[in-house]
Amino acid sequence: MVDPALSLAGIEKRYGDTLAVAGLDLDVAEGEFVTLLGPSGCGKTTTLAVVAGFFAPSKGDVRIKGRSVLGLPPFRRDIGVVFQDYALFAHMTAAQNVAFGLMMRRVSKPEIERRVAEALDLVKLSGLGGRRPHELSGGQRQRVALARALVIRPAILLLDEPLSNLDLKLREEMRLEIAELQRRLGITTLFVTHDQGEALVMSDRVAVMNAGRIEQLGRPVDIYERPSSRFVAEFIGRMNLFSARIAAETAGWHVRLADGRVLSLPVPAAMADGAAVHVAVRPEKARLSRHPAPAGWLVFRGTVERILYLGATSEIRLQLENGGRATAEAANGEEIAGFTPGTVVWFTAPPEACRVLPA
Amino acid sequence: MRQDERVSGAWIALRIVVAVVYLFMFGPILITAAVSFNASNRSLFPPQGFSLRWWGRALSPDWLDPLLFSLELGAAASVLATLLALPLAFALVRHEFRGRNALIALTLGPLLLPALVTGVGILQLFQYVGLRDYIGLPALVAGHVVICLPFAVRTTAISLQGMPPNLENAAASLGAPPWRTQLHVILPLVKNGIVAGAVFAFIHSFTDVNLSLFLVRPGEIPINVKILGFLEFGFAPTLAAVSVITILIPLLVVVAVQRMTGLGDFLYAERGHG
Repeated sequence: MVDPALSLAGIEKRYGDTLAVAGLDLDVAEGEFVTLLGPSGCGKTTTLAVVAGFFAPSKGDVRIKGRSVLGLPPFRRDIGVVFQDYALFAHMTAAQNVAFGLMMRRVSKPEIERRVAEALDLVKLSGLGGRRPHELSGGQRQRVALARALVIRPAILLLDEPLSNLDLKLREEMRLEIAELQRRLGITTLFVTHDQGEALVMSDRVAVMNAGRIEQLGRPVDIYERPSSRFVAEFIGRMNLFSARIAAETAGWHVRLADGRVLSLPVPAAMADGAAVHVAVRPEKARLSRHPAPAGWLVFRGTVERILYLGATSEIRLQLENGGRATAEAANGEEIAGFTPGTVVWFTAPPEACRVLPA
Repeated sequence: MRQDERVSGAWIALRIVVAVVYLFMFGPILITAAVSFNASNRSLFPPQGFSLRWWGRALSPDWLDPLLFSLELGAAASVLATLLALPLAFALVRHEFRGRNALIALTLGPLLLPALVTGVGILQLFQYVGLRDYIGLPALVAGHVVICLPFAVRTTAISLQGMPPNLENAAASLGAPPWRTQLHVILPLVKNGIVAGAVFAFIHSFTDVNLSLFLVRPGEIPINVKILGFLEFGFAPTLAAVSVITILIPLLVVVAVQRMTGLGDFLYAERGHG
């Protein structure tokens, strides 16, 4: 078996009484783009810093291509890092910034010149090599930082929220650009972000982190379509949650809603009879109707409370008859034409749009 | 229209204030300079006649020796204070440790104490511990390092604080061992802070009189102490000439360094690290 390009085993990082990282395992394959996604304080940046060697983990091992690097200082780890604040060297030109890592590796002068030009070209900064960081825009600084990390052809590229300081338009452009560059170069990448959009668009796999642990690891589509926990379901996109209990019936496993109705839904393994669960439905998968839905569907009656016009779609917020609330998102068209606050509607979802999550 | 009028009104007021400030700053200096060219034996203003004889006296060994001594003392104090300030500023800015606040108080304390008191303290200390023979240049250097240190630490610390926190990590990730990071990344970025600190230290030392007063001995007397001593005999035009020299030296140092490194940028708009 081939060793993974990067392997984290049982990583723990303790600050005094708090565990910033609480036992984290992760393998990243050669050329793979893996994202650590989570709210601030979930331990994602700490994990990145442990990989980079900026500090040692309290427990666990970091292996690059099968070799433990715990004993190596950052400058021997063969990594490239792009920081949130870019950390460019203000007294050097863009080209000198990019050349820095090559100088440290004692690459010959002509070779440095060639590779710096190549790297600047790669990030579309040809001709701006002579500028100082303060003479560059935020997006251009970002590109210099990226070129500086790439030019040394590191074994692992680490990106620490590199897009957070850019404005929205530029951020969306850079997402694609970085992802394309990463695929073209085939460089193994660990990306840290709190932005689910970035994670979904850019990654081969996403590790959703919470309280120092990985809650779920999977392809973007797995994470979004089949979240394994309430945390993941609510952190990525939006989610309607309805309380229910597992009900063992003769014909297999079912879910009993709070009002007593029983639905036949796929139930995750290892759930006991009577266990409290949530039935989760994404707003855009729910359908609003003026008529009750076919049998076997999840159905709640409610009244429209508010309609938020979002352009391509509208978000419709409902007050349900059972006292709860629900949100649906629908294309602006016939389906929801004529809905106004106060309209009585049925919130419905086919079984395949429902997911049962541990409460 | 009204807006414009108000703006120009404000500008006129500002100009008047600036003019008054300049008048207060440069008036006495200009008067002193004028007095030094008196043909009369007395320090008259406006000067009576024109003569360079007071300048001849000011440039005699009587005055040149203490002047050179002050320059040596200032240079020594400045270099030593700067060398001490560099590691101190690093420790204070970059690290949390026990006794950090005590160290801050210790390095900045001399700013708050009257130099006179520090001078008396150093004099007594040297006497009590049997270093009486070192009163003179060694004691003066020690004292001046103490009173100059806060300036050097402050400016170096400010330039360190202005640095993005990840710079060292960035350099390390690019393969730079710590000493190369210091040499190629940190030092160039704090250079202006260090130079500014050295300049302030030199000027502070050169213009000091309070501390020096207690630590001199014959032949090892800074120019300002010498001037003070001479004042007992009244303000002769010689003193006016000497005073002009002692004003010009720090001024020339600041102008020279400003030309080379942009000291003013450092002082008023330290935004160079963005």
